[in-house]
Amino acid sequence: MGTIITVTSGKGGVGKSTTTANLAVGLANLGQKVVAIDFDIGLRNLDMILGLENRIVYDIVDVMEDRCNLAQALINDKKTKSLYFLPASQTNDKDILDRQKVKKLLTDLKKDFDIVLLDSPAGIESGFEHSIFLADRALIVSTPDVSSVRDADRVIGIIDAKSEKAKNGEEVEKHVIINRIKPEMVDAGHMLSTDDVLDILALPLIGVVPDDEDIIGSTNTGDPIIRRDKSISAEAYKRIAQRILGEDIEFLDLKAKKGFFGALKGIFK
Amino acid sequence: MSFLSNLFGKKKGTASIAKDRLTIMLAHERVDCKLPYLNDLRNDLIEVIKKYTSVDDIKITTTNNQSVDMLEVEITLGKK
Repeated sequence: MGTIITVTSGKGGVGKSTTTANLAVGLANLGQKVVAIDFDIGLRNLDMILGLENRIVYDIVDVMEDRCNLAQALINDKKTKSLYFLPASQTNDKDILDRQKVKKLLTDLKKDFDIVLLDSPAGIESGFEHSIFLADRALIVSTPDVSSVRDADRVIGIIDAKSEKAKNGEEVEKHVIINRIKPEMVDAGHMLSTDDVLDILALPLIGVVPDDEDIIGSTNTGDPIIRRDKSISAEAYKRIAQRILGEDIEFLDLKAKKGFFGALKGIFK
Repeated sequence: MSFLSNLFGKKKGTASIAKDRLTIMLAHERVDCKLPYLNDLRNDLIEVIKKYTSVDDIKITTTNNQSVDMLEVEITLGKK
């Protein structure tokens, strides 16, 4: 029986889909059979980040409405053999998901896959609730700024109140991913540090991803950055994937880069 | 400025302000989200205290400290 892991954040634009794509590839590379599902009905994007947009024939709503079977809708990534993708539907009807049908789909997928990774939509509307309802675990992505941390906190409260596990008196295992941190700004005291965010959210950390301009390029080409060597953010994602599987991996040492000129510049600032 | 602040201890950046603001804001917001019964509790408390004395106001604040949730009840007694 597989595990359902929901990647969520509350606030939009903090890197949920990028995180989902990279962890999906990362977990598959570690030998897991992974299915990544885009739950952002009407605003699908995970397809482009994974570079699979041209292979979509059916989507999640087609499966739930029995217009095709599951195997027809699942797209197998050619670069990462044990990774499958189920796209969101581009309908305008955002209330199209039905709890029983979502439950059936996810239960079916759990039988076939080690990890079912759900990319939740931003916000706290019904699509979000569907994506957390059956979660075994949740990865809460937050950037180190007040809006994102505040929304993350709210989402954590909703997971604790509205997930099926919570209703059965159990707890969804929750971890925080801090995204786009800039060590230089943290050092200067102008960006919330990892410890600050964890103090506020009171949840364990599973990874810190530094701000990395190369991610834009990898999104442009539809090739998740985790496939690159010598990339600090790729390394961060690889380590998160390992920690998800329970390995005890050291956190990346994200120190501000300060050469001689950097130090000099610091003096005269 | 940064040279001097390095010499005389670290200057307070905007991050600490962000943290303080967030901590205060979330302490309030968590109440609504996690304790939907708070208002009813407050009304019941008022009824109970009224049996013994007069009451002006009851303030209930919550604090979250890692895994411990606390309710602080502040009762302002009315003048007899």
